[in-house]
Amino acid sequence: MHLDPFELHRPRSVEEAVRLASELSGQCDYLAGGTDLLPNYKMHLNLRPHLIALEDIPELRGHSFERLGAMERLADLEGDPAFRAAYPGIQDAVGEVATPLVRASGTVGGNLLVETRCFFFNQSFFWRASLGFCLKADGDRCHVVPQKERCYATFSGDLAPSLLVLDADVEVAGPSGRRRLPLSGLYDAAGDGIRRTRLAPGELLVAVHLPPSARGQRAGYKKLRVRPSFDFPELGVAVAGRWDGTRVESLRIAVGGVETYPRRFDALTDPLAGAPLSEEALGRVASEVMRGVRPVHNTFLLPDYRRRVVEVYVRRAVREAREGSAA
Amino acid sequence: MPSRDRLRFRLNGQPVDVFCPDPRILLDLLREDLRLTGTKRGCDLGTCGCCTVLLDGRPALSCLTLARLVESREVTTIEGVTPPQGLSPVQRAFVEHGATQCGFCTPGFVVTATALLRANPHPSREEIERAIAGNLCRCTGYTKIIEAIAAVGGR
Ligand SMILES: Cc1cc2nc3c(=O)[nH]c(=O)nc-3n(C[C@H](O)[C@H](O)[C@H](O)COP(=O)(O)OP(=O)(O)OC[C@H]3O[C@@H](n4cnc5c(N)ncnc54)[C@H](O)[C@@H]3O)c2cc1C
Ligand code: SF4
Ligand code: FES
Ligand code: FES
Repeated sequence: MHLDPFELHRPRSVEEAVRLASELSGQCDYLAGGTDLLPNYKMHLNLRPHLIALEDIPELRGHSFERLGAMERLADLEGDPAFRAAYPGIQDAVGEVATPLVRASGTVGGNLLVETRCFFFNQSFFWRASLGFCLKADGDRCHVVPQKERCYATFSGDLAPSLLVLDADVEVAGPSGRRRLPLSGLYDAAGDGIRRTRLAPGELLVAVHLPPSARGQRAGYKKLRVRPSFDFPELGVAVAGRWDGTRVESLRIAVGGVETYPRRFDALTDPLAGAPLSEEALGRVASEVMRGVRPVHNTFLLPDYRRRVVEVYVRRAVREAREGSAA
Repeated sequence: MPSRDRLRFRLNGQPVDVFCPDPRILLDLLREDLRLTGTKRGCDLGTCGCCTVLLDGRPALSCLTLARLVESREVTTIEGVTPPQGLSPVQRAFVEHGATQCGFCTPGFVVTATALLRANPHPSREEIERAIAGNLCRCTGYTKIIEAIAAVGGR
């Protein structure tokens, strides 16, 4: 498949990239590993006349225990045994993204900002033209929930939940400088499948920062997918916690793959701190998380099934984290 | 040619200097412009692994790589993995173990396996299964492919 014409830019610094994006005011996309953007471009989904490749910006590379550069390849995180040991939950999630060949190019930043997905969106131009375009690309209605003028495309990145439960921050650069915000604030709870993040146009994700408290937590990620490799999440549940003996010190749960953004359930887990976690309490939390999510029918598996698995995976993930050895 | 459209990189050990507009995909450049048709186009979307090449020695999906981004880098295709005479150890093992049927997926598997064995000369069965999880084969059922790679690794 050939791509429609665009101009490729190769800035050498964050500042240059951001300046370019602001000059091109909205007529551009950033290109990281391209494993999400290029398939979408091949299917004629929301093409822009300019691509800004982030390949040549040294500051965006590399990882440490405290910082993941936005352009760090998923395969490079996977290949670091010390990182794996310090962050078992992140590693679970990285190892479940796509396939090893995709992870060789796919990056951390691209994963956090991966385009939302929908059965009616991720289709060829011909397919979409035949049915009639939808709100998210070229059209004016939604095939999933036709009554509403809103897009329900699903957030399908695997890394976000596993970083959300560790209280990660993101560093973002824009024309007026840099800012740091909690990862949870990157996603727009008031938006939809189209307006999915709170980045201003042209803002660049520079890095993910992990606080000292992120290390040594008992953590894990459970992913529901159709095939055990290749497929995007139909649901992803991340858990991280600390226990003192049987007593819970802290516990966080985040869920992705079922709504337009990934989110945490602190209101359910905060009250658990300070006491041992009974099976009844865990069951209650799991069923509340299940009741709290609203998947729609725009992926392969039925929404009702995905919701029920939420309950099962929350229970399993918390039990496994509790029993697992701390890193 | 205008210098902006000129792309220079190393391909299978040789320098190349070709015309390459910005939107050109590496797979298309290799197959259509450079006529190296050993690298196969399956899905064109990252979901089959047929188009795998080595980029600076690491596997990469050429259907999801912008050709301009290989500027000054080293690309190795299945043609480059094959010795001038005969077959590479991985290729020989694929033949001997019946790991190829229609053969369409084979270049991708051979390139992926070659990269694996360079990084990890004696992979376990599990490591092999993980490494080839991004290559699809509609014919063999994978068992023979895994056996062939394991045999090269001496397992
Ligand atoms: C076959 C296949 C299977 C896949 N399965 C999965 C899966 O199971 N789980 C999963 O999570 N993903 C999956 N993906 C999607 C994708 O491969 C990964 O999410 C990957 O991590 C994306 O990273 P990238 O660098 O390739 O992103 P790109 O494609 O380069 O970019 C993705 C988006 O993020 C934007 N962007 C990238 N970096 C920045 C930045 N620093 N600042 C601002 N914007 C930025 C881009 O403009 C683009 O909109 C799959 C892809 C394929 C082809
Ligand atoms: S949820 Fe509706 S608007 Fe959004 S991509 Fe799917 S069909 Fe289009
Ligand atoms: S052709 Fe590249 S992965 Fe299928
Ligand atoms: S041998 Fe036919 S696809 Fe693998």
